[in-house]
Amino acid sequence: MPIHKLDPTKWVDKYSDYLFNYAIVRVNDREVANDLISETFLAGLNSKDNFEGRATERTWLISILKRKIIDHYRKTNSQKGQAEVRINYSDSENNGDWLEEQVADTFDRTAEDEMENTELGLAILECLEQINEKHAAIFKMKTIDGADTEAVCKEFNISPSNLWVIIHRARTALAECLEKNWF
Amino acid sequence: MPKRKFFIFDCSKAENCCDKSQYNEAGTREKISMLMHLILCRPCRKYTSKNTKLTSLIKKSKLKTCSEEEKKAWKNRIEKEMTKKKH
Repeated sequence: MPIHKLDPTKWVDKYSDYLFNYAIVRVNDREVANDLISETFLAGLNSKDNFEGRATERTWLISILKRKIIDHYRKTNSQKGQAEVRINYSDSENNGDWLEEQVADTFDRTAEDEMENTELGLAILECLEQINEKHAAIFKMKTIDGADTEAVCKEFNISPSNLWVIIHRARTALAECLEKNWF
Repeated sequence: MPKRKFFIFDCSKAENCCDKSQYNEAGTREKISMLMHLILCRPCRKYTSKNTKLTSLIKKSKLKTCSEEEKKAWKNRIEKEMTKKKH
């Protein structure tokens, strides 16, 4: 098994989008997600020496981020009052109706779908890690951010025909990788 | 893929047009030529269906990216912390 090494100078370029998408769906707040990622990077730096190289850099950072998310919820929960449960069915006729109200509603399905979509997003980012870093950045800017061809060309100092060649290669590689890992 | 030419369009042109149309950047005339090519070219039809599927998957995933400013701020923090550790 290959021994993985940490390179904190590349963390932001390589993993910030992945960590961000992982965090945002769990905390649902851009600012909180940003803070958590920032904390993750710092915690990673501080415990760098404990990294044994058995996991990949990304898996290791995600495990730190997971803990940060749990800590975040612990903190917010301890600030809240205790949850109150009230059952207001005093007459015998309606007794038991509240049980029906507890049954999972259609929102549940949406939440599941949402989770699956996030996993799909993470799978896409994982696949993009396997292609040339610059090409991945160009693909993300064009496809995910929806930037104009002109803007992307200017940013990366490439010609439009160059851009389309890069996009074509990225799309082909991505489709192949997703076919292998997602379906 | 072996290059085949049907109606002024060869496969690489058809693929290029297909890529562009995923971003709504293909012209009408270009698209018509591509469609004519697709009628006769099976590999390109396969490529187009894969490509369209990929577009819908990306859309479905609702991926977000971090802004450059956010990335810069993180990079600065990491750099700062690293130099602090060195001293």
